[in-house]
Amino acid sequence: MPEIRVTPLGAGQDVGRSCILVSIGGKNVMLDCGMHMGFNDDRRFPDFSYITRNGRLTDFLDCVIISHFHLDHCGALPYFSEMVGYDGPIYMTHPTQAICPILLEDYRKIAVDKKGEANFFTSQMIKDCMKKVVAVHLHQTVQVDDELEIKAYYAGHVLGAAMFQIKVGSESVVYTGDYNMTPDRHLGAAWIDKCRPNLLITESTYATTIRDSKRCRERDFLKKVHEAVERGGKVLIPVFALGRAQELCILLETFWERMNLKAPIYFSTGLTEKANHYYKLFITWTNQKIRKTFVQRNMFEFKHIKAFDRAFADNPGPMVVFATPGMLHAGQSLQIFRKWAGNEKNMVIMPGYCVQGTVGHKILSGQRKLEMEGRQVLEVKMQVEYMSFSAHADAKGIMQLVGQAEPENVLLVHGEAKKMEFLKQKIEQEFRLLPDAKKPRLLHGTLIMKDSNFRLVSSEQALKELGLAEHQLRFTCRVHLHDPRKEQETALRVYSHLKSVLKDHCVQHLPDGSVTVESILIQAAAHSEDPGTKVLLVSWTYQDEELGSYLTSLLKKGLPQGAT
Amino acid sequence: MDPECSQLLPALCAVLADPRQPVADDTCLEKLLDWFKTIADAGSSLLLLQENPCLVTLLCPVLKPQDLSPRVLAFLLRLAGILAAQEDCFQHLQQGDLLPRLFGEAGPLGGAAWTAPTVRSGWIQGLCSLTQHPSALCFLAHSGAVDTIFSLQGDSSLFVASAAGQLLVHILGLSMQAPAEGHPSLQPAHWPACAQKIVGHIEESLRATATPQVTQALNVLTTMFSHCHDPWTQVLWVHLSPLVACLLEKDPVPAAHSLVDLLLSVARSPVLSSSSCGLWDTLAQTLSRLRASQAGPLALGILKLQECPKALRAQAFAVLLQPLTCVLEATTQAPGLPGSSGPGLQCGVAAIGPVASSEACAGRGGDPTDGELPLAWPPGSVGGTADAPLTAGMLLPSKAACVGLLCQTLAHLELLQPLPQRPSPWPWAPLLSAAVTILRLCNGSATPTSDTGTHLCAFLAGCVRVQRAALDFLGTLSQGTGPQELVTQVFAILLEYLTSPDSSPTVLKKAFQATLQWLQSSPKPSGGGDLEPHAQLFLRELLPVLPKRLCSPCWDVRDSGLEFLTQTVRRWGGQAGFRHALLASEVPELTEQLLRDPESYVRASAVAAMGQLSSRGLHIIPASPGHPGAQQKSLLEELLHILSTDSEGFPRRAVMQVFTQWLRDSHADVAADTEHFVARVLRVASQDLDWEVRAQGLELALVFLEQTLGQPSSSCPYAMTPPAAAPPSLVAQALQPFCRVQLFDFAFRALFDCDRPVAQKSCDLLLFLRAKTASYSDQQGSSSGPDVASLEAALQRWQAGDQGQPLGDLEPEAVVAVLRSLDLEGLRGALAESSDHAEQSPLSLLQDMLATAGILGENEADCY
Repeated sequence: MPEIRVTPLGAGQDVGRSCILVSIGGKNVMLDCGMHMGFNDDRRFPDFSYITRNGRLTDFLDCVIISHFHLDHCGALPYFSEMVGYDGPIYMTHPTQAICPILLEDYRKIAVDKKGEANFFTSQMIKDCMKKVVAVHLHQTVQVDDELEIKAYYAGHVLGAAMFQIKVGSESVVYTGDYNMTPDRHLGAAWIDKCRPNLLITESTYATTIRDSKRCRERDFLKKVHEAVERGGKVLIPVFALGRAQELCILLETFWERMNLKAPIYFSTGLTEKANHYYKLFITWTNQKIRKTFVQRNMFEFKHIKAFDRAFADNPGPMVVFATPGMLHAGQSLQIFRKWAGNEKNMVIMPGYCVQGTVGHKILSGQRKLEMEGRQVLEVKMQVEYMSFSAHADAKGIMQLVGQAEPENVLLVHGEAKKMEFLKQKIEQEFRLLPDAKKPRLLHGTLIMKDSNFRLVSSEQALKELGLAEHQLRFTCRVHLHDPRKEQETALRVYSHLKSVLKDHCVQHLPDGSVTVESILIQAAAHSEDPGTKVLLVSWTYQDEELGSYLTSLLKKGLPQGAT
Repeated sequence: MDPECSQLLPALCAVLADPRQPVADDTCLEKLLDWFKTIADAGSSLLLLQENPCLVTLLCPVLKPQDLSPRVLAFLLRLAGILAAQEDCFQHLQQGDLLPRLFGEAGPLGGAAWTAPTVRSGWIQGLCSLTQHPSALCFLAHSGAVDTIFSLQGDSSLFVASAAGQLLVHILGLSMQAPAEGHPSLQPAHWPACAQKIVGHIEESLRATATPQVTQALNVLTTMFSHCHDPWTQVLWVHLSPLVACLLEKDPVPAAHSLVDLLLSVARSPVLSSSSCGLWDTLAQTLSRLRASQAGPLALGILKLQECPKALRAQAFAVLLQPLTCVLEATTQAPGLPGSSGPGLQCGVAAIGPVASSEACAGRGGDPTDGELPLAWPPGSVGGTADAPLTAGMLLPSKAACVGLLCQTLAHLELLQPLPQRPSPWPWAPLLSAAVTILRLCNGSATPTSDTGTHLCAFLAGCVRVQRAALDFLGTLSQGTGPQELVTQVFAILLEYLTSPDSSPTVLKKAFQATLQWLQSSPKPSGGGDLEPHAQLFLRELLPVLPKRLCSPCWDVRDSGLEFLTQTVRRWGGQAGFRHALLASEVPELTEQLLRDPESYVRASAVAAMGQLSSRGLHIIPASPGHPGAQQKSLLEELLHILSTDSEGFPRRAVMQVFTQWLRDSHADVAADTEHFVARVLRVASQDLDWEVRAQGLELALVFLEQTLGQPSSSCPYAMTPPAAAPPSLVAQALQPFCRVQLFDFAFRALFDCDRPVAQKSCDLLLFLRAKTASYSDQQGSSSGPDVASLEAALQRWQAGDQGQPLGDLEPEAVVAVLRSLDLEGLRGALAESSDHAEQSPLSLLQDMLATAGILGENEADCY
């Protein structure tokens, strides 16, 4: 039996400050490096002294893996790498790498703004920390060193969230981070193959809950916003810059469009542009519906949501404002709240968790007279609503994941002890984690015959051993175009046409005359029989199937006359 | 206690004692304990209990622990400990028989609640708090708690086990306080019973065959010798050292890491290091018994000691250096290794560590050879015994071991080098040679033919981890000098790394940093100029490489390249040779292009680089190719465009930093029309959504004020010292430019900015201005005109949160009058408190906890 040691430095039997140290096959891996928003002192970060006592951090740890961009999973990273002194590699997915510094910067600014903290990580530290990041693709096996390999799986939850398999020799651990087994408005459901790890470390936030459908919560949200706006009130939705904000923006945008509403919606952070850019860039991480409609209508280009100016808060009439920070503890959202709190027609909707001490926490617990700076008392007459949109797997989802991965052991983290106890029993009942020899099992693998031996190994392993590259599946299609010009000129016309139509895609005209759009390759050739016709050879990978089909149909319609 | 809090406390205690009421979140209980600790530290806990009997009532439910949630139970145990830390309060709780039932067998101990690690941790922390006085020691002795603590040392929870060890140290220290003061030399056999029991337990653990038990004992002793330096600790070490020495006879040595920690903590103890106690022998023996990776940290620890026998230091240094010695030996056997004939490597093999000689090996510091190290140390025998010299094959047997050991060694040497107690003479040249050799092995430019060398090559080729460590170390080595030929090799290998397409982004960043360090440490040539010829030559060779890095598809490489460029221009921008080479390269043009990079970090670094280039006159505006006569947009315009339009904060903040620096340095573009420049910048910065840009706008305004009105007269810029008297007309005249650039509109509005640092900055600025105009306002008397009234009305609107229209033109007299009437000191005080002051107050905490009770739903663990 392999020895796998797990030491939660945070989020063992609670939520916040996720940081789990795993020792497997002589390798040490840190899973997440989060912070606890509820503390303002040393306790906000995990106690790294349990690692530093083992010698230099960079020597002791083989790598750090970050599951997603939420601060309770990555908030301590610049502190850990630039102030405690970890100098090794940090792995995360591409979207997490892109978004993580925005949230860290947002958090740093709030901390410095609110408390004037001097001994805190700086912008330069965040940047230096991000330079240590190695970004990974989904399902890509990354060799950290000769013995240690990691692989990311889709986790839903937020854009770029991933579960990670950590493998040393024949021993493996899967760490889920936060995940969601049901698709939501912009993301898909978590998925993992039957990797049968020795240990599955899974979050258990909703260990005893079967959550109602998210659709109900969304309907409720829209109904409340609509009612408030109809009665002429102003709606404040405090959010963090990225994540929940985009989900709610899509909801409101679609609703406004459908109901033909005129009240303005504003987004106050000035970050929408960047957020939308990332959602477009990582469109493959969103759910099928968004990807499918992306070419016709980009869900992240909002018609009704405009940038907020501070002066707009005084405008008469109804409006909806998304403002940061999400817990109403400083900055713009708090300023707007103070301005609007006295009017009972107005409404504040808290779409996420608030830590003790913040104004958000106080109003959610029903307090209506708040002491502000200088012992001023603010009377809250506006309507206060709480709607949790957090996307975690519920008890059913956790069981489903255990069923998918078929682990030998399960370790529950990121939840409450009492609820974990209940779920533990459920898992034991249902799965009886010890392997049952008589139970039929489906195996996926490649049989290798070598030196009179047979071995069944994973496909990746087989490819690696045989030194083969994975075969890439490409679709191809021929489109006939009536164009008497030379092939190069036709290709140039195709390029100009696509460049003008596909503004959000990377369209390139290569020196060899071919045109590319993402993975799609277009080449123009002369027709063997008809000199007035050119044949366009279009080829694309299965990942870009939708865009490939769309392009083909577009080209079949011919090129506009002006395209040169 | 605040009366308002006192009023709320009974209700809160009732909530906590009610098992049906869930507690909001665990941070609340932590913060509540913080508050009780502050009260207890500041006054009498007994009084606190007497004035708030609800607290005693609260502790009673612990008697039925099965009803309480583990976290509330843990909270109560810790609270009891905090209160019982004062002896009178302890007695009070004892009278009610509360403490034995909390911490004894009748309490949670042994019950179902004990299975929760939180409860065990709370129990230990409670005991740790209350063990402050002799009565507590008697209580521990009678309650049998010490035995429980012994067993908790092996707890499944790392946190509980660690806390148990610390508690044992705490108890031992307290129980030894009284007898140690009277008879420090008493032998353990005559120590108090409690101390004897703990020492007996440690002895037993040290004799155990199971490694975890030995580790526990060593960890307890380490904590003790690190924190307690009373004379009795020397007696204890003399008593226990034979048992510790016995561990060295086992093979393998058990708990080697903990043993190293213990020996170093003993060696650092002021009580023990001066006496022999056999410690130095044990250390020497340990150095020779442990594996190289285990001995490295011990060797470093020994070399960091202030006082230590010379022979031991020499042994430790040899141990530390042995991996590098092995690398050099293995590679010099290789005929094809570049540089094998050079003086560096020759010196390296013969001299690394225990050097004899050469002046070439002595560093810039000119460390005198004090005979501390043995003068002749035969090559190959370093660290090994004469019978069995350690070779690369033995020391670096596998890739993982080789990589780990080399990284550790390089990091240890990097730590040691800046310390005053580093070995002397410091072997600069051989170390340089070793670092360069390792880097060559890593990038494949070394082609050894010997077996060991080939193995090393295979282990290290392309190893990013070793490359990073070696480049860091190489950078540190720039503090000394080696022979010219070696320095040339250093620049050559750095250039190879900077040029190579195989260098990873992190390696490139380290290579840039090491390069900068080496360039900065290059001695100035005697004939003048800023760089010695070979460094100049290097920079000229590097400049053609830089464009490739600035065009890298990886943002981090482009950024590191720009950061390097900014630093080099700042340092050598005035040097003719460098200027010429830079202007002849594509670097300035590419840097300008990077102002439009898709990555905001890169745009910000490009702004900083362009600012620096322009300050040094290295930014030439190229003529537009289509229109030879027309010039492209000036850099000032380009930066203003970024400030107005860039969607992200970093580039805009970088622009503000460049502009402020330009204003300070009277940059030509600024000096042409300073007022116009300031007005344009402030207009844009004041509207920025990023508070840091607004704050930097105020910083620029302050520089402008200082330049116009003069520097602050005292060391404290905003101290209210009487300013030099100035005629009223002159002051009014001096304030006119600020009115024209709309500085006051920005500053007054910023006083009520929703972001605190902006308001603070504005407050400071206006206080400075008021100090400067004090004499003027004194002579003018009170002023009341239409301007004053409209300004005051605007201030009131802004304070109320309205944004409103800009003020328009202001008269200096009105500004001075309003400045005088504003309570800027009061505002500054209020801002210093911040909103946290109200939110984090105990009253706020109690209100929040009470408000939350009962309304929690199913998903209280909801999160992000």
